Amino acid sequence: MDHTSPLEKFLRGIALTMIVVFFMFPIFWIFLMSLQTNETILRIPPSFVFTPTLSNYTALISGKLTSASGTLDIAFMHNLWNSVLLSTFSVLLALLLGVPAAYAFARFKFRLGEFIAFTLLSFRFAPPLLVLLPLSLIFQYLGLADTYIGLIWVYQLIALPLILWIVRGYFEDISPDIEHAYRIAGHSWLSAFLKIAIPLARPGIAAAGLLAFIFCWNNFIFALILASADKQPVTVGALAFVTASGIQYGQIAAAIVLSVTPTLLLALYAQRYLVEGLSMGAVKG
Amino acid sequence: MTMMDVLVIEKLNKFYGRPDKPTVHAVRDLSMTVRKGEIIALLGSSGCGKTSTLRMIAGLESVSGGSILLAGKHIEALPPSQRGVAMAFEGYSLYPPLTVRDNIAFALKAQKLAPDESARRVRDAAKLVDIESVLDRYPSSISGGQQQRASLARALVREANLYLLDEPMGQLEPQLRAVLRGRIKSRLNDNAMTAIFVTHDQTEANALADRIAVMEGGVLQQFASQKDLKTRPANLFVATFIGEPPMNVFEAGVVRAGERVSLALANGPGIDFAAGDIAAPVLTAIGMRSRITLGVRPQSVAVGRGALTGTVTSNQWLGDQSHIAAEFAGKTVVAVTPLRVPARPGDNIPLSFSAADMHLFDSDTGAAISHGRAAA
Amino acid sequence: MALQLQSLSKAYMGKAVIDGLSLDAATGDIVAVFGPSGGGKTVLLRLIAGIEEPDSGTVMIDGRDMTEASPDTRGIGMAFQNYALFPHMTAYDNVASALTPRKLDAGEIRSRVNQIVRLLKIDHVMGHRPRELSNGQKQRTALARALVGAPKILLLDDPLRNVDAKLRYEMRLELPVLLRKFGSTVLYVTQDYKEAMAIGNRIAVLIGGKIVQVAAPGEIYDHPGSVEVARLFGDPGINLFDVTPDAEGRISIANSPLPLGSGFASSAGRPCVLGIRPDALAITSSANGATIPVDVLAETPLNDKSVLLLKSADGKEILAALPAAAAGSIPIGPAHAGFAPDAALLFDRTSGLAVPRAATRS
Repeated sequence: MDHTSPLEKFLRGIALTMIVVFFMFPIFWIFLMSLQTNETILRIPPSFVFTPTLSNYTALISGKLTSASGTLDIAFMHNLWNSVLLSTFSVLLALLLGVPAAYAFARFKFRLGEFIAFTLLSFRFAPPLLVLLPLSLIFQYLGLADTYIGLIWVYQLIALPLILWIVRGYFEDISPDIEHAYRIAGHSWLSAFLKIAIPLARPGIAAAGLLAFIFCWNNFIFALILASADKQPVTVGALAFVTASGIQYGQIAAAIVLSVTPTLLLALYAQRYLVEGLSMGAVKG
Repeated sequence: MTMMDVLVIEKLNKFYGRPDKPTVHAVRDLSMTVRKGEIIALLGSSGCGKTSTLRMIAGLESVSGGSILLAGKHIEALPPSQRGVAMAFEGYSLYPPLTVRDNIAFALKAQKLAPDESARRVRDAAKLVDIESVLDRYPSSISGGQQQRASLARALVREANLYLLDEPMGQLEPQLRAVLRGRIKSRLNDNAMTAIFVTHDQTEANALADRIAVMEGGVLQQFASQKDLKTRPANLFVATFIGEPPMNVFEAGVVRAGERVSLALANGPGIDFAAGDIAAPVLTAIGMRSRITLGVRPQSVAVGRGALTGTVTSNQWLGDQSHIAAEFAGKTVVAVTPLRVPARPGDNIPLSFSAADMHLFDSDTGAAISHGRAAA
Repeated sequence: MALQLQSLSKAYMGKAVIDGLSLDAATGDIVAVFGPSGGGKTVLLRLIAGIEEPDSGTVMIDGRDMTEASPDTRGIGMAFQNYALFPHMTAYDNVASALTPRKLDAGEIRSRVNQIVRLLKIDHVMGHRPRELSNGQKQRTALARALVGAPKILLLDDPLRNVDAKLRYEMRLELPVLLRKFGSTVLYVTQDYKEAMAIGNRIAVLIGGKIVQVAAPGEIYDHPGSVEVARLFGDPGINLFDVTPDAEGRISIANSPLPLGSGFASSAGRPCVLGIRPDALAITSSANGATIPVDVLAETPLNDKSVLLLKSADGKEILAALPAAAAGSIPIGPAHAGFAPDAALLFDRTSGLAVPRAATRS
């Protein structure tokens, strides 16, 4: 029976508006900031009315930051490229390793299976700072410090547990009888894995990959400690705007907008899959 | 409406979907009257509208159009608690934090009985459905069949003008069903309780109900006793839906040669009835039709004698009856007999059925034209 | 011998689901595996198919030990209860999947698939995905997939369970004909005794993980090996009474004496259980030497018969079945019930096993 009164609808609308404003306002404000010069930003009181300028964006893209104390070289575009590289390859590696592992956890009951799975998940929970100092020493020793390979390897700590847990849930949701039927029809277990399990788990794999990409992209601490300026992603690269002559808020804002946009677009495009992927993996039948 | 009519439903309609863009017309212009003490079954396949109808009577669904009168009062706009109906749900719906005993007793709360009277009735209801042994357990710890019986006990323990049961025995263990059906029917009849239950199982409908309302596509096809549904189905749908195995159906041409009328089936075999076999009222009912649909129940097809021939495709002995399938008139005809028949697949066997067992239907509308010797 | 199962055992969480089970099936044999739910029927099929491994025992297919062989090498076809169709493939690809591992050319595969789907009358839905098919079409697609490879052994796990009543009856008539045409050895699992009797040329009754009786359908119905088997066959179920025959083969129910004939004289003094099928009871309005007084409580008419709920003098509920034509002929109230002595089945009360009736000397 449909009993929502007009009052309920009105209150619901107010609540929704408040929530949207709460979450979206910082992003909206930053977007505005990116179109203002430093002077406009620092003016008190702050105003919504101003003449927009693209000078921040041009500075970032051209790589030249002009400020009161001279011209600085900004490697922002290079940082952006590093982010893309690191996130993409980390996710690809994590998928290569994680999807078969998720399948093994889902289909085979082996001793300590749950224990191992939970240990792998716990890496997500552990504060990165715990491992960073030893890791940086080990990396120096192994010659992996300041290499893409080293970073991609470390990023597995972020991506792999995520992929494992989400994709395992998806595999568990597929009735094993479907693969059994394929085996009985005469196909090997590898064929069943590639032709049946993976296609059916595709939404989950895509969702997990997407989420892992976003988390890798957002990572700050690993890249900060284990990479030098050459290999830094945008998260770290933004620090460059804290210059000797002051914080370049306009450029930071523009940098933030440019670094947030790819993942925001990705998430918006795939939001349906993300929600589906996350909830399906979590709820066991 | 007379004093004996407990429930009167008039032109009941139910639409699902938005009011301006209804997507499903689940119940169409349903009208029926139930007398006091009657047990009625709403029978049909899934999606036919029977559950929607029951839920509208209970007050769990809103009524899109029409009226429902219970004991003379309009109830279609009342909330469920004020309607004077008791309901047993398909999904058991027992309250998890209460024991089975308390669940059943809960239904008596509104009647404000003395505690020992309430306890006595609970025990009595539990005994009826054989769940005395689990009275002090919680719903989550008993089997599905026991939960369903508890739900049934809870519905039957109350005093109400009308008892509504949604697929009451679907989950029960098959061995219990026959005994429980007998007991429940006995209890309902002894106390003159009026009940409506929904089922897709015609065995259950036949066993318990005084009258059965067959529904399909939201429309009431026929509302009659089991005997009438079987011997005088109102249309082809009811004829083929009621009865297991389903009625044998053939398309036939009507051939007239002077005074003789015979029915020509596909592939040649003609059913030629001597004058007088097809009764006069039936001939009148056939009228000027050139085609007709003929139905004969498997139990009325005699094997081993007769002028017609079929080629046996299967002969199955089920312990107390034989089911014989044979190719006949381009289709498969099924015959059921309590005897063992020594026929093997591939054998030709004689078949026959009498005009008294024939049901004729209009080939276009499916409406019944005649049953045996009488017009429909 | 196409299929030999020797002392198979399988336990889950400490509970034995299959317990020392042995069964033989010759080529072309259609064996209905019948029993109550939880009896282990589905597990049995899975052990034969190779998707579960037994704890002990052997599975021999065509004389070769296949107990450890993987499912794709056993040469079997299986139709699952929940169809297990591949949701991301068309019905055609589902059926063809049983042929693709073999090195056949596309034309050969196409012609074999078309042949079988035409036989099962689903040729017009081959282009659809499983979710677009009705239950009946899904069931036949699963069957086509199992059959198309012409497997030596066909395992059918309650394939008609989720199908509506009318189609189920139709398939009950058509399936045996179809299966016989293919000549595979078939194991057909069902919980419906009528289906078992209709489809199998032998029935293996599986209770508690063991096969308690294997025989032709009529044999099991007329001579059930134990009380449990007797209970499973017959609708409504058989009436059971605790009795102790005396030396003349007489027993007493509710303090009324009844003759059983001399065939059971050897059981004199032994505690037994008497089984009388509802259709073997005759209800009369007056007593004769071989009846007991009963109270007719209710009549529930079924399709092909009418069931009476009776209560004996000592409060026991008894079910009697009348042919449909006689429905309504017995009024509610006091009456008398009796049976012909040779309709009686006798079982030992401790073991539950049937007591055979000794041939009477003429």
